[in-house]
Amino acid sequence: MYIYLPIAEISMHIAIIIGLGGGVGFLSGLFGVGGGFLMTPLLIFLGVPPAVAVATEANQIVASSVSGVLAHMRRGNVDFKMGGILLIGGVIGSSLGVMLFTFLREVGQIDLVIKLSYVVFLGIIGFLMLLESARAIMRTRQPGARRRKLHQHNWLHGLPLKMRFRRSKLYISALLPLGIGAFVGVLAAIMGVGGGFIMVPAMIYLLGMPTSVVVGTSLFQIIFVTANVTFLQSVQTQTVDFMLAGLLLLGAVIGAQFGTRASVLLRGEQLRGLLALMVLTVCIKLAFDLAIRPDDLFSVELVK
Amino acid sequence: MIYAHRVILGLLLLIGMTGFATADSGRIVVDLSKSNVSITSGFHGTDLLLFGAVDGDIGDDILVVVSGPPTDVAQRRKANRAGIWINVETNIWQQIPSLYSVLATNQIEQITSPEVLAELGIGTQNIGLKIVPETPIPGQAPPIAADFIAALQTNMANIDLWSNEIGKVKLTQNALFRAEVKLPANIVSGTYDVRVLQFRNGVAISEDRTNLYIEKGGLSAGIYNFAHDYSALYGIFAILFAVASGWLAAAVFRRK
Repeated sequence: MYIYLPIAEISMHIAIIIGLGGGVGFLSGLFGVGGGFLMTPLLIFLGVPPAVAVATEANQIVASSVSGVLAHMRRGNVDFKMGGILLIGGVIGSSLGVMLFTFLREVGQIDLVIKLSYVVFLGIIGFLMLLESARAIMRTRQPGARRRKLHQHNWLHGLPLKMRFRRSKLYISALLPLGIGAFVGVLAAIMGVGGGFIMVPAMIYLLGMPTSVVVGTSLFQIIFVTANVTFLQSVQTQTVDFMLAGLLLLGAVIGAQFGTRASVLLRGEQLRGLLALMVLTVCIKLAFDLAIRPDDLFSVELVK
Repeated sequence: MIYAHRVILGLLLLIGMTGFATADSGRIVVDLSKSNVSITSGFHGTDLLLFGAVDGDIGDDILVVVSGPPTDVAQRRKANRAGIWINVETNIWQQIPSLYSVLATNQIEQITSPEVLAELGIGTQNIGLKIVPETPIPGQAPPIAADFIAALQTNMANIDLWSNEIGKVKLTQNALFRAEVKLPANIVSGTYDVRVLQFRNGVAISEDRTNLYIEKGGLSAGIYNFAHDYSALYGIFAILFAVASGWLAAAVFRRK
């Protein structure tokens, strides 16, 4: 059964949309990631206009982050103060991101910027994760290996406006999470992701937050950043496809349950290694698309 | 006497008119099985039956042109810059048909000459395509570049909106004709122009037109209008919907 998506203005088979949501939902349940970095490129590959894919995915991430954060809140794994600072930065950054997005769309370079951002960030993150999980697997085989320190202070922590974050056991400058939030916010708006895959490593390695509160706090601030993107894209570009988001969500909710169950079958470092390989695959696919001469050098777009 | 004269004159006129009609020009009328198509949630393209009657002779041909509401189309050209393929040039085609398809009883070359088609404005090469460069040169007419037009025809055909192939028109007894007009899933809403011509010996001897109205309907129209007319409210609604369904999902998940 085909369904006509009113904003994307294309007709798609309903099984493809729900299946896509289910598949990405499964992986996000398995790896504990949002899955936006997979969903947005896949929607674009399937012919959804990039602008609609990015804005709609932001809307869907609001829902998946809400359902994810509730479990973390029950366990007290959300640092609301840190999350608050991050989301202030995130709202500023994502607002700038939507403006940049609108501008790039007008000059016809949005596809390029979306793809380049994916190649760069997925490449870096995938490579680092692969390295880290390989090291972790090695470490489990060498029982006498030295443990890392909880966190180290660097000059960034000493910037002005120092603040105490009790839940994260940190006393650092508020400018640092503000800046990180803003940077990830820009990316979230342009790439149609929650940005957890950048936020989480940044929280661990740059802020030095304890890993127990990292995922919950990241999800907490993603809700507000993606809600902001949803709102601004609705107002500025009218590219949020409510029907597409709803159907993807339906699949994702079911898929995530199976994914969470499957995740107990694998060890943490193995999961991270697999995720890294998947991230790198998407990265390489996009890089090839940019580097290989396209069959048709010309493309058209109906302007309204 | 005066009365009889009038009758004879009338009869003569009548004979003269019908004689003229059969000798030089035919007559053609066209209609569609549906003149309103609504794009609802289940829409996945549709076929319309086009039919009509013609006062034809042996060897007459019928040609049908369907053209969609004019729209601006941005055409971009990629080139290799520093190892990656990026859009380096944009041309805006102004007010070109968003759908264009030609259907006929015969191959075009056997119906008429390219000159006649150009004169009648039939075929995508004859609809006055003009390129507007991104930075227009003052005092100069917009250029018409042949390879851009060829690329446009290919691009539009790839997204099913223009057709490079000639569809089939079936003519029976030189009097009745019918054809299937294919409307792809990605058609633009608006008024479509359907033009039907009767050709005899390479000359168009009669013509008829009709309109086709395509509009969004049902739930999909509701969502589209909501998103465009009350976009801030739509954004808030989309967020609330997402928050509610996320909450619901978590609740269901927890119970299991």
